[in-house]
Amino acid sequence: MIIAERKPLEEIKSMLSGYKKILLVGCRTCVTICWAGGEKEVGILSSQLKLASSGEGNELSILEATVERQCEKEMVIEELRDKVQEVEAILSMGCGVGVQTIAEIFEEKPVFPALNTTFIGMPEAEGVWVEKCGTCGDCMLYWTGGICPVVRCAKGLLNGPCGGTRKGGKCEIDPEKDCAWVLIYRRLEKQGRLDLMRKYYEPKNYRAVKRPGRVEAATA
Amino acid sequence: MNREDNKIVAFCCEHSAYQVADKAGRMRLHYPDNVRIIRVPCAGRVDVQHILKAFEKGAAGVLVMGCQEGACQHLTGNTRAKKRVKYAEDLLKEVGIDGGRVKMVNLAPDMAQRFIREVKEMAEKIEGEMRR
Amino acid sequence: MQVRIGIFLCDCGESLKNIDFSRIRGDLQRLEDIAFVDISHNLCLEEGVKAMTSRILAENINRVVIGACSPELCEHSFSRLLKGLRLNPSLLSLANIREQCSWAHEGDVTGKALELMRMAVNKARFLQPVEKKDIPVNKEVLVVGGGFSGMRSALELSRLGLRTTLVERESVSGGKLGEFESFHGIETTPEEMLSSTRKAVKENADIKVLTSAEVTRVEGQVGDFTASIGRGEEKVSQSFGAIIFATGYMTKILPQDFQLKPDVNIISQRKLVEMLQAPGKLERRPGTIGFVLDVSDENSRLPILSTLNNALAVKERLGSEVYVFCKSLKVDSEGVEKLYREARERGVVFLKFEEKPRISKEDGRVKVEARDVLLGEEVTLLCDSLVAEEKVLPPEGTEALSSLLNIGTDSAGFYQDENVHLYPVASERKGIFFVGGCKGDLDFTRTLADISSATMSIYKLLSPEKVIVEVEKVKVEPEKCRACLTCVRVCPHGAIQMVRVDTEKEVAKIYDLACDGCGICAAICPAKAIRFEGYADEQILAEVEAIGESL
Repeated sequence: MIIAERKPLEEIKSMLSGYKKILLVGCRTCVTICWAGGEKEVGILSSQLKLASSGEGNELSILEATVERQCEKEMVIEELRDKVQEVEAILSMGCGVGVQTIAEIFEEKPVFPALNTTFIGMPEAEGVWVEKCGTCGDCMLYWTGGICPVVRCAKGLLNGPCGGTRKGGKCEIDPEKDCAWVLIYRRLEKQGRLDLMRKYYEPKNYRAVKRPGRVEAATA
Repeated sequence: MNREDNKIVAFCCEHSAYQVADKAGRMRLHYPDNVRIIRVPCAGRVDVQHILKAFEKGAAGVLVMGCQEGACQHLTGNTRAKKRVKYAEDLLKEVGIDGGRVKMVNLAPDMAQRFIREVKEMAEKIEGEMRR
Repeated sequence: MQVRIGIFLCDCGESLKNIDFSRIRGDLQRLEDIAFVDISHNLCLEEGVKAMTSRILAENINRVVIGACSPELCEHSFSRLLKGLRLNPSLLSLANIREQCSWAHEGDVTGKALELMRMAVNKARFLQPVEKKDIPVNKEVLVVGGGFSGMRSALELSRLGLRTTLVERESVSGGKLGEFESFHGIETTPEEMLSSTRKAVKENADIKVLTSAEVTRVEGQVGDFTASIGRGEEKVSQSFGAIIFATGYMTKILPQDFQLKPDVNIISQRKLVEMLQAPGKLERRPGTIGFVLDVSDENSRLPILSTLNNALAVKERLGSEVYVFCKSLKVDSEGVEKLYREARERGVVFLKFEEKPRISKEDGRVKVEARDVLLGEEVTLLCDSLVAEEKVLPPEGTEALSSLLNIGTDSAGFYQDENVHLYPVASERKGIFFVGGCKGDLDFTRTLADISSATMSIYKLLSPEKVIVEVEKVKVEPEKCRACLTCVRVCPHGAIQMVRVDTEKEVAKIYDLACDGCGICAAICPAKAIRFEGYADEQILAEVEAIGESL
């Protein structure tokens, strides 16, 4: 799922300077699960902003709301339609998609992001999320035993290790990281599919024309 | 609550700190009367939000008091509380509230003197900063 | 329904002189949802209870707030009182105005007492009733492991009126007890103990024994565990109320420390016991027997116990010379220090080394060379047999089983050694217990005590006619649950599992009987989907807001 992190408070405060009444909106999906922008984080940021503003002598009035999923137009409209009338600006604690959805619906109101959307990943341990997928649009996990070299190899190599792998199978660039290709080799070895490493993978096509991506289902 | 009222909110775990506070009372050991104790089943029940809300509503200081490390009946409650107190401390620093106004304290049920000391220390710290 | 609060203040026999009770009453009465404020001198005595009872019966209130001594003292009796008056005990809110107010400060504390009352009143406004229900539990117990601990547990449970199913992986029950030659100082031999216990189990109609069987899966919660038991090709599923693990241990001579080769006479304790049990069969009596300890494992007590017992048995039956090489002989288990002294009196020689002894072969005998710390000299020993130290390990399958059950093991792989001070026999999951060798250390007397403790705990859990739980005191709201698994992973008692609601989405569910009411899940739930009645977020917040609130 989408992983995001809250921006530093100073940056958020600078976005809000000059505004007296805002709507702080969380999202109950991805950013709730990665502890970045759920109802709880809305409450915490709200407390912080109130404490900061009263300390500086200007009262910031904050309306709080949390949408089931900020990337669904209907849900955003239903939850925020009335509240939006009362405020000058909206501070969204959703991922970049959520921020833009709200901005599209309520075009006259400035919408600011409280989070930095970082990557697509999964929980590795409680409170720890790691990037797993590079959204390259050309999945090669068949060839690499289910390990993505786009994301997990520091150089994004597609055809084997760079030759600089450190002792213990660690990455030349980041000794804390495992060399992705060592992991891929070992995985394929376990499955008896080492012959797959002989495949030559052409460089991926990352050209700008590919973005913004668009997918249309056949039965749309 | 206003910050000038110098109120200290103390979240006290019922297995340790709450009993310690009772013990202090039974022994007639006096401490500053601006402490307000809120009883919780485990220090792990206390979340970052509770701490921040306490400050938002005007508390001058917050104590989270639980069992000693390794003695939490729910195994991880006090270690979680410790992490949350640290995080709350950082969040408060971001808004200019620092100087140790939120603190994690680990107590065994018989540590009345320690309880008194921690409360007095927090009360002095708040008062000191008020005078500045 | 409109909240109507009845308030009782107790001045503890008029002794709380630094509180102006009538001022507090005056202030509280002005609040909008207060039905009455009564002052009593003794809510704990019959007079006060009577007055409280008639007041509650006369008035139509649905919340009770009491300002008195510490809830630690009075909560229980006030709850019972409310229950008797058909008011749900969860609708009670207490303020500690004695120990934490009147007694704790000098001078007038009316202001603080009033605030404490306001906090309790605020909280009361958000209290919800919690129902109590009698739930059905399965009263049968699963005992995993048919060694001495397992069999003994089953026998004790039978004495307490509970039926057990005993599952043993090997084809014969008995475990490791038969490998011990004797317990020095105890008249009954291990062999006798074993056969009498086996007999008792066989003749006991409450105990069903399944040999050559293995527990492959355990699901569910206390009161309703479902265990899958595999027996060869057959697989059965059975429901149990509680589980005792008596899976024991295994021993291994580590090849890196001792090389067992056919022509070198390094033997295991078990082999020595065989020799001792049939001395007549030996080709020739061994003149010198050596033991080596503290090489593979400096912490385990079992090798020490075996060594001392067997060394004394060697002296008695074979009369050989006995030498024990050790680093630090840990004699803290029950009776072991005595054993050590007796061994020395009988002429067993103990040699203390710092560096690992060197073991080699010479003229068909085993040569042990080590530097004796006390003598300050190199010592060379030639012995006919060297008894190697065995490392005590958890039996195969422990790791798999523990992750299956969501139960911790310590760094050596044994069960719950971490929690041994808080939960000596219970695991952190309610209804699952550990006894005997599988806990990592062997002490016969302690094992007997552990078995009694575990069986009594199970009796308490399952045996009473009714098992009463507070229904959904801590509850996951399914609509808000994001199925992120955080609470499932975090619950220290393993009381939360994912379930499918109405064959639709999967949500977390908290099992009432297994829940220990810590609130860690409620605090951590990222979606704020867990409500803990009595300590809910809005209740805690209400208490905070009451501080310094103007009237």
